[in-house]
Amino acid sequence: MGPTFLQRVDLGARRLMPFGITLTLMLFAMTPTYITGLSHITPMYAFMAVYFWSIYRPDLLGYGTVFFIGILEDLLAGTPVGSSALILLICQRAVFSQQKFFNSRPFGLIWAAFALLALGASLLRWVCVGLAGPWGFTPFSTMIAGYLMTVAVYPIAAWVMAKAQMKLLATQ
Amino acid sequence: MRQTTGPISRFGTLKSLLQRFAFLSLIGITFALMLIGKADTVLVDRARVAVTDAVTPILRVMSEPAGLIANFINNIHELAAIREENAQLREANARLLQWQAAAQRLESDNQSLRNLLSLVPEPSATFVTARVVADTGGAFAQSIIITAGTQSGVRKGQVVMTGEGVVGRVMQAGLYSSRVLLITDINSRIPVLVGDAGNRAIMAGDNSMRPRLRYLGNRTAAVAGDKVVTSGDAEAFPPGLPIGQVTRVDDGVVEVEPFVVRDKLQHVRVVDFGLAGILADQPPPATPQAKK
Repeated sequence: MGPTFLQRVDLGARRLMPFGITLTLMLFAMTPTYITGLSHITPMYAFMAVYFWSIYRPDLLGYGTVFFIGILEDLLAGTPVGSSALILLICQRAVFSQQKFFNSRPFGLIWAAFALLALGASLLRWVCVGLAGPWGFTPFSTMIAGYLMTVAVYPIAAWVMAKAQMKLLATQ
Repeated sequence: MRQTTGPISRFGTLKSLLQRFAFLSLIGITFALMLIGKADTVLVDRARVAVTDAVTPILRVMSEPAGLIANFINNIHELAAIREENAQLREANARLLQWQAAAQRLESDNQSLRNLLSLVPEPSATFVTARVVADTGGAFAQSIIITAGTQSGVRKGQVVMTGEGVVGRVMQAGLYSSRVLLITDINSRIPVLVGDAGNRAIMAGDNSMRPRLRYLGNRTAAVAGDKVVTSGDAEAFPPGLPIGQVTRVDDGVVEVEPFVVRDKLQHVRVVDFGLAGILADQPPPATPQAKK
């Protein structure tokens, strides 16, 4: 007997979860925290989500979805349209092409790889935003502070996403 | 086995080829979009307005818990200092009552002198209060999204303030939401007056917490502690609005600490001073209109 209508809806919702979490994290990055000094170094939450899901559920987050999230982020954040989408797509491509490397590796190694990839992405976005805007480049130190914040927050974001993955995708 | 793996592996190859094609196409589109954004800002602005209007209700809900927590922490701080603050407020109240009496006397003096001169009053400023629902951009852009748009009378180019000073300018106004370009953003340029001497300069944001003063006529004139206010040049801002204080003068670099703490913004005022503004969509009329 095939799955019932409700089961199919349930399955569909579960498969949309990586997209939903990535989108939520992207919007969460824009939510005011009211903590002094934090707005200038907001971590790249969407980048973390794309990295995580590209490793653990590459089947549920495609290039098109990532592109959509990146464009949405640029439109909302006021950054040059395409700059976020570009680094998210490159992050996903890099993970896809090294799928064997990421397979069953300890978290420390995954984190180190994230730090390396995030550094490249931050530099690339810094160059893109600097070239696309009329007034030149953001101070290098501000960009690096944002990057360090992203690397520092990744374990927390990864832990939350891992919990969500275990709870919601366990039945598949 | 060959009969079963053959089509599957061919399918796999085709899928990976398609994926590579999709990836390269999307990368091409991102570059094209960045170029379009540089060439046609109106088109990109329209897209930003539409998306911001659509997403603002979600941002409004998401910003609610953080606002509640911030208010809760504030309340605890206030409760701890309530006795001390009460004494201070009583003292301030007594002082302000004296000022009120002085102000009422001066207002009536002013009114009678205006009547004597038959002075035409300047149009008074009107304002709209809005909530801050998003603080966007991180290290790469400095703007906030507020919950008031053209339906509430907000227009592009209007000045956004709090009690402390200038927050920024309305960069895009949607129907129900607007984006405010903060004075710390790399695209922000404000004509200012520095210190008591009123030296003219341009305050330029660079996405860091402290904007810098450029084109300061007399570089040695600025010292730490000097107040920075809007100059009113270029009609983007009315003159005399408080912006910040010079915090560092070092080897020709003059940094300004804004009075407004960006991270603490919960509500802002969008003020209509009746200025044409350099950000307005419509170019200013060629001939100045006669005042009625």
